[in-house]
Amino acid sequence: MLDFNVLIPETAEPDKLWDLIILGGGPAGLTAGIYAARYKLETLLLEKSIVSGGQLTATQWIENYPGFREPVLGKKLAADMEAQAKHFGLKVISENVQSVNLVDEIKVIETDYAKYQAKTVIIATGSSPRRLGLSDEQKYAGNGVSYCSTCDAPFFKDKVVAVVGGGNTAFEEALFIAKYASQLYLIHRREEFTADRIFQDKVFAEPNIKIITNSVVTGLNFDLLVGRSLNLQNTISKESSELEVDGIFIFIGNLPNTSLFTQQVELDEGYVVTNRKYETNQRGVWAIGDVQKGVLRQVATAVGDGAGAAHQVNKYLVENH
Amino acid sequence: MPMLDEKVMSEVKKVLAAMREPVTLRLYTQELECAYCKDTHTLLDELVEANPLLKLEVINFDEVKEDAAKEGIDKLPAIVVVGERDYGIRFYGIPAGYEFSSLLNAILMVSTKIVKLTDETKEFLAKLDKPVHLQVYVTPTCPYCPPSVILAHQLAMASKMVRADMVEASEFPHLVQKYSVQGVPRTVINEKWFVEGAAPEAMVIAKIKEALLDA
Ligand SMILES: Cc1cc2nc3c(=O)[nH]c(=O)nc-3n(C[C@H](O)[C@H](O)[C@H](O)COP(=O)(O)OP(=O)(O)OC[C@H]3O[C@@H](n4cnc5c(N)ncnc54)[C@H](O)[C@@H]3O)c2cc1C
Repeated sequence: MLDFNVLIPETAEPDKLWDLIILGGGPAGLTAGIYAARYKLETLLLEKSIVSGGQLTATQWIENYPGFREPVLGKKLAADMEAQAKHFGLKVISENVQSVNLVDEIKVIETDYAKYQAKTVIIATGSSPRRLGLSDEQKYAGNGVSYCSTCDAPFFKDKVVAVVGGGNTAFEEALFIAKYASQLYLIHRREEFTADRIFQDKVFAEPNIKIITNSVVTGLNFDLLVGRSLNLQNTISKESSELEVDGIFIFIGNLPNTSLFTQQVELDEGYVVTNRKYETNQRGVWAIGDVQKGVLRQVATAVGDGAGAAHQVNKYLVENH
Repeated sequence: MPMLDEKVMSEVKKVLAAMREPVTLRLYTQELECAYCKDTHTLLDELVEANPLLKLEVINFDEVKEDAAKEGIDKLPAIVVVGERDYGIRFYGIPAGYEFSSLLNAILMVSTKIVKLTDETKEFLAKLDKPVHLQVYVTPTCPYCPPSVILAHQLAMASKMVRADMVEASEFPHLVQKYSVQGVPRTVINEKWFVEGAAPEAMVIAKIKEALLDA
């Protein structure tokens, strides 16, 4: 079945002083946008991709988001959230935020194309996949190394692939990739997995998934298109081995997208430090979703944060402006 | 049942209401050995109903092979988005899924002549005196792909030296093989240089400069 997405970038006047600018259009930012628009705050959301939804668009099925008894397509949930937000008047612009000044009373946000000003800012830039850290990893990204199964799994139809990771994402994506691959090796550095039991049961039952525990990938032998392999090392015996694969998918957690904010708000190991009201240490600046320090990083929590932070922003604007 | 259901069609009408000048979608097809020619034809038939400024011209590839080759058309289905002139904006394979948005963006861009590029890029394009051929490999389910396609098409619109193709990877396995595409988006510059992923404008321009220096 073919589907057709209608996404057209909008533009916004740069000279306006916005009540609120939301940085990032994942589930957290979009939900904050829905609430803010309904509070009738003049709100602008800046999203670097033309497609809102953040990591929601990088996965096929979401099974644990309330309200959907059957798994819901990530990109459908994302498109519906965006449509709902726009319906209430949220302005969504697809521009990449390049630099910010969040210190002064009036916040200034600069993109590739314009400068925007706001009374308040919500940081919702989410996170990006963590890399394994191998020397050749970057070189083979898009050419055997992947971090997005919905994007790249079809290239591995009837091929042998490895999936690295032991958490929910690795397990869920392995199940999706295994529909294409003839053989899938799930490689994890420990004996125990952190993935939910429900995912573990499904993966263990899949005949073409083989589990390799206590092992780390130490090298990619991807020079040629055929006869590719991985170097593995057993973390206990320290023994090395080689595993023939055509490609590798890496799901070993995330890194926050916060390089823009280093001199602007308090960070801890890259994550934004927030309190229970989503406040950062900077007046007029909140942070929600995956970028925060010490939270569960899921869609359900991201949308909860979005609603909560928009409420705080509205209260702040009523009291201060 | 139509390909574009009522809901999508009403959205399409809304966005195409911003059109100013007429746009022709020139579709190259053939009857045999083209898995998606028929679907693409049906899709465009329905799409042009959305706005009177939009026209479809269907060309039987077998009858015009040599002329088509001059325009760089070498695989099917091919869509050329033509406004006042042919800007070098092409789609190879069916523009479905997220790529449907790339097609709508190309139509709007050609129709309004509005491109969104930085001053640095415009300056670079103004001085560009060597041909640049961009091929952006995509899959319809890739959310990161439209920005790369739209960027390439904008560069084509802004410079006569640039030709920019969207290529739907699953329909052209020999090219996927040739350019070793195993992830999308992958932008191929002048058949030899590559940009991985949804790279920002400045990075793509830097890579084009590198390709031209090396050539
Ligand atoms: C493969 C995969 C599977 C998952 N499966 C599930 C699941 O089944 N259930 C579940 O609950 N959760 C799942 N998650 C986690 C969930 O998707 C995230 O927790 C959630 O998306 C976080 O939302 P967010 O809005 O905080 O950030 P994100 O979704 O990361 O969105 C951040 C947005 O900000 C944008 N952005 C970043 N920097 C800039 C900038 N400089 N300028 C402009 N825009 C910028 C990004 O483009 C992005 O759209 C999964 C994640 C992945 C990767």
